[in-house]
Amino acid sequence: MQNNKSLFLPLIVLVLVVTFYSAAFVIVEGRQVVITQFGKPVKSVNEAGLHFKLPFIQDVRRIDLRILSWDGYPNQIPTKDKKYIEVDTTARWKIVDPLKFIQTVQNERGARSRLDAILDGVTRDIISGNNLVEAVRNSNNILDVIEERQKELESVDEDGEKVASDMQEEVTGEVEPVEIGREKLSALIIERAKKELLPLGIELIDVQLKRIAYENSVQKKVYGRMISERERIAERIRSFGKGEQAKIEGKTDKDLKAIESDAYRKVQNIKGKAEAEAIAIYASALRRDPGFYRFVRSLEAYEKSLPKETKLLLSSESKFWEVLRTGR
Amino acid sequence: MSFQNGGGRPDPAAEIQKKIEEFFSDSQMWWKLLALIVVLVAGYTSFYTIQPDEEGVVLRFGEYHTTTEPGLHLKLPFGIDQTIKVKTKLILQEEFGFRTDSVSGKRTSYNQGSYDDESLMLTGDLNVADVEWITQFQIAEPQKFLFNIRDPIQNIRDISEAIMRRVVGDRLVNDVLTVGRTEIAAEAKALTQEILDNYDMGVKVVSIKLQDVNPPEPVKPSFNKVNEAKQEQEQAINQAEKYYNKIIPEARGRAEQKIAEAEGFAAAILNRSKGDAERFRAMLTEYRKAPQVTKDRLYIETIEKVLDRLNSITVVDPEVKGLLPVFGEVKSAKQ
Repeated sequence: MQNNKSLFLPLIVLVLVVTFYSAAFVIVEGRQVVITQFGKPVKSVNEAGLHFKLPFIQDVRRIDLRILSWDGYPNQIPTKDKKYIEVDTTARWKIVDPLKFIQTVQNERGARSRLDAILDGVTRDIISGNNLVEAVRNSNNILDVIEERQKELESVDEDGEKVASDMQEEVTGEVEPVEIGREKLSALIIERAKKELLPLGIELIDVQLKRIAYENSVQKKVYGRMISERERIAERIRSFGKGEQAKIEGKTDKDLKAIESDAYRKVQNIKGKAEAEAIAIYASALRRDPGFYRFVRSLEAYEKSLPKETKLLLSSESKFWEVLRTGR
Repeated sequence: MSFQNGGGRPDPAAEIQKKIEEFFSDSQMWWKLLALIVVLVAGYTSFYTIQPDEEGVVLRFGEYHTTTEPGLHLKLPFGIDQTIKVKTKLILQEEFGFRTDSVSGKRTSYNQGSYDDESLMLTGDLNVADVEWITQFQIAEPQKFLFNIRDPIQNIRDISEAIMRRVVGDRLVNDVLTVGRTEIAAEAKALTQEILDNYDMGVKVVSIKLQDVNPPEPVKPSFNKVNEAKQEQEQAINQAEKYYNKIIPEARGRAEQKIAEAEGFAAAILNRSKGDAERFRAMLTEYRKAPQVTKDRLYIETIEKVLDRLNSITVVDPEVKGLLPVFGEVKSAKQ
């Protein structure tokens, strides 16, 4: 009797403890659970804390409540304008209906394979249905920028003044207007995929086009194009420099001629005026007796101009010899 | 009691053993020991310390209870309360397009591996730029960081990449490489924050900084060519300007010189004419007083001077025939 009693008490305690442990469960923050009864999901709980269930017959399946991420395998997709690009997408999703979730996809691995299929498919559809620019650019702001640059370039040109060399770097590459844009493209992907994922108890939060890159062979061509563009720009800049140089050299020549001819004109002008005045002065004085002037000036000229070596042949009839000849 | 051994000092070892035996022979003592262990464990699990750069997130039965500041804190024992320490004061950093290997020593070393996948991106004009950047962030609300999203760092990386591509995708390659840096960083920061807020993950983006922004490696030399061309352009223009500056000021000086000379000539000619005129007038006045004799005097004096200077004079009388010797002499003079 005594023996029985001492065995019975611990047994009861043990049973109680085991029952308690089987009934109680803790949900940590960021988790949710589905309670299954003989394998059949009966209800879900998503509040953290201490909870109870029916012991032994009910089981707990723990599922994440947090936002989960999905990383797609980089896909090669041709765009509508036949450019092969590699698209790497990433998405965030959340299990919002755990009962549906475990019924349809069982676990995260199952969910991932469905996500792969759905998101890859939708992404492929959307990307290949649009031109490349739609996946690259978000807006047409760039067109305004280009227009502004162009205006700046032209306005500077009109002055005929030196164009700043930075302006020479014209816009290169391909700039087409976008109709949809990157953000709306991901919104379209989300919209379509969302519908397909909702029956799985999954809410798609967002899809981001993480990387968009040219496929390798295309990339080489693009690099080739970039190189040739740079070379063209370099050539343009260089030839602009040469042009400027020629312009300045031309201006040098022009200025030089202008300066020289202007000086010549001034010189002639000054000399002419002075000579005219001199003529007037001479005339006013010499007019009084032109005969005497001629006489005096001739004598002066003889004296100055006949050099030593001159052989003078004179007639004895000249006035100088008159006295010699006649003796009077 | 201790004197049972007949006044000798008790054997300490035996004493202790005896006490232990006494202790265990008493069944009450088992419970006491258990209680002691329970108290010790309770005591040990009731305290925790939060370091100055951390905050503690306290969970009670797995449910978020409170967030505690640095210092010593109490909690419920036996794992009822659990604390997760989160370094909230620390600024965390993610690198894109490069990896810092170590910051020990004087110089930071970078991993030489290629992270082109991360850094190569398409610009708005469908060119390619190699953009490296860092995203710095802080855990602002640790409980959200811990429980609202799985793998938050990976998500921050994914969003950073997506946003950087979106921002760069709206710009021209030239702007990305040159003037657009700060603008890109600011816009990327704002957009990244917006998206992370959307996930409610308790992260504050501190800053996004662009590091090396380059053309892709194969294209680099041609970008350098453009820079070289710019240099050449400037050089050509400078050379031309140098030539201009060398020629024109000198020409201006020479022009001034010629004009000055002309002016000098003018002054000279005027003075000469005035002088000559005055002389003539003076001579004329005196000449008029005795015209014939003055004329004769002047004539004879001049001829005298001229003839005096000449080496040879031939006077020919018209009545004398035979001029041959004269011409002969002329001939010989010419030879």
